[in-house]
Amino acid sequence: MKFLRILVPISGEEADKEAIELACKMAKEAKGKVYVVYVIQVKRSLPLDAELEPETRKAEEVLSRAEEVADEQDYKIETDLIQTREAGPAIIDEVMERNADLILMGMSYRKRFGQFDLGETIPYILKNAPCRVLLLRQPLL
Amino acid sequence: MAERKRLGDTFIRRPLKLPIRLRPTLGVPGLFSTAYGDVGSSIYYALGVVAMSALGLTPAVLMVSGVIFLFTGLTYAEGAAALPEAGGSGAFARRAFNDLASFIASWVLMMDYIVTISISAFSAANYLRYFFPLLGSWPENSIVGVGVVGGLVFINILGIRQSSRLNMTLVLIDILTQVSIAVVGVLFIISLPQLIHNIHWGVAPTTSQLLFGISISMVAYTGIETVANLGSETRQPSKSIPRAVILVFFTVIALYAFLSMTALSAYPVHQSADGKWVTDLTQKYLEDPIMGITYAMPANIQPILSFWVAILAVTILIIATNAGLLGVSRLAYFMGQRQQLPLVISHVSSRSRVPINAILMFAVVACVLILTGKVTLLVDLYAFGAMLAYTAAHVSIIALRVKEPNLPRPFKIPLSIRIRQKEIPITALIGGLATITTWFIVVYTHHIGRIVGFAWIGVGLVIYILYRRSKHQPIIGLGETKPRT
Repeated sequence: MKFLRILVPISGEEADKEAIELACKMAKEAKGKVYVVYVIQVKRSLPLDAELEPETRKAEEVLSRAEEVADEQDYKIETDLIQTREAGPAIIDEVMERNADLILMGMSYRKRFGQFDLGETIPYILKNAPCRVLLLRQPLL
Repeated sequence: MAERKRLGDTFIRRPLKLPIRLRPTLGVPGLFSTAYGDVGSSIYYALGVVAMSALGLTPAVLMVSGVIFLFTGLTYAEGAAALPEAGGSGAFARRAFNDLASFIASWVLMMDYIVTISISAFSAANYLRYFFPLLGSWPENSIVGVGVVGGLVFINILGIRQSSRLNMTLVLIDILTQVSIAVVGVLFIISLPQLIHNIHWGVAPTTSQLLFGISISMVAYTGIETVANLGSETRQPSKSIPRAVILVFFTVIALYAFLSMTALSAYPVHQSADGKWVTDLTQKYLEDPIMGITYAMPANIQPILSFWVAILAVTILIIATNAGLLGVSRLAYFMGQRQQLPLVISHVSSRSRVPINAILMFAVVACVLILTGKVTLLVDLYAFGAMLAYTAAHVSIIALRVKEPNLPRPFKIPLSIRIRQKEIPITALIGGLATITTWFIVVYTHHIGRIVGFAWIGVGLVIYILYRRSKHQPIIGLGETKPRT
């Protein structure tokens, strides 16, 4: 299976590194493209175009590290910074716009109230993505 | 791009300085449910206060103000699509005129958001009297209303994420419930002869009562600014915004028509012992009129319907209260960025990422209004502010058609007339005339609303002028926009 356009949503977690590495390796085979996006979610008490300096700084650091990881794989990626209300629909829109054929997401093993928890964004993407989705869950500690 | 770190090198990370792309995610369903959630909640309090003045002409008055609502909605649709900013009529006025016009439009709109908070929270407390009869009187209902505001402020400051899916579900349930009431009303209650008999031309209502009723009836459409505020979050705004406006209009008009006819059929207009023309809807259920309608339902469904409506009304009104808080927050941010309000008010907290000071300050004002326990005062204030804000929106859209005819307008109001080779939208002309006329009626007939409204504007202008001077910004012209929160 070859993927020409891989979208990798990242959030600054440890799992991002492995996801980017895997995406680069997969894209290399098909000489495809890797798009790494960071999503800033804006609360409803602010306008969508609010300037959120701390979040933007964090996003730039995370995307900068993403480029370093790609450099180590000797592969070029495209990075993008999106500001939206809800990450899930925004990522799906990115997929549609870029005509991506794979979404590759990393996630750490996390629990909420003692139960394994996928959060809100990942189930939304799994349910609504028009393309294949690869979820890379980190091992149990 | 950041340089790769090598052993022994000094590593300097250069920031990427990526442009941030905004990702709007709202489609027609999301925009409709958010707008309807604001507008549709108004009937839970508006029906009572409008019927108090308009009596048998309440359905007609609501329809007339519904048309003004539609015209204003179309104005906001054109403005929001062309200028997708959060300021609503303030943003339109800034582009069309200057910061002073923008400030006045935004400041009166701020008052409306505060009144929305107050009236929704107060009404929620009154609907709770179904479960706790003590809440049917002051000050208990005001205290609970203040508690509702306090709780929501706390939630907003904590930054608890609000679910848009829950909002859409509740809106759907609300519409279905109101449709059910309307259907039962049509089948069992509405009586055209009674509705006609309710009208005593020139007597009940009198001309001044009718004008008063028309002037406050716009409170039934509280939340129309939501459309403009959400412009930047809407996919394909040229299509989504006008579609949502028209969908909200038809939904609201139909429901208001049937609910008001049901109410006035169930509680006819009559003369009380002291000779006044009244309806028991407002004598007994002024603050919770929809509950009044449920009590008039057939006996086999009344208990369950009353129970259900009480729960639904409280829920919807709490959501509407929160919508008011969000509106205050966003508008304060907008005004702060344009240096119309001191940054200490609009400053975004580094911890919670919300403008805490604005939320707290204006929530306190809202609580003071709730503590008066006077829904009529709240409605007066709303009408005062809304008519000015809507007039500002209409005038701004007309001015932009004249000054910037080539401004990209993804949605353009159809039906224009040519005046000196400029296309002027007819709905904005008529809407603007209607809203400014209504504002003059409000000023003339609403004694307390006039005093408090002008005092609010006066206080705001003092803050604005002092702040602008301290920042060496022009009072009237366009100042700088601050890029930082």
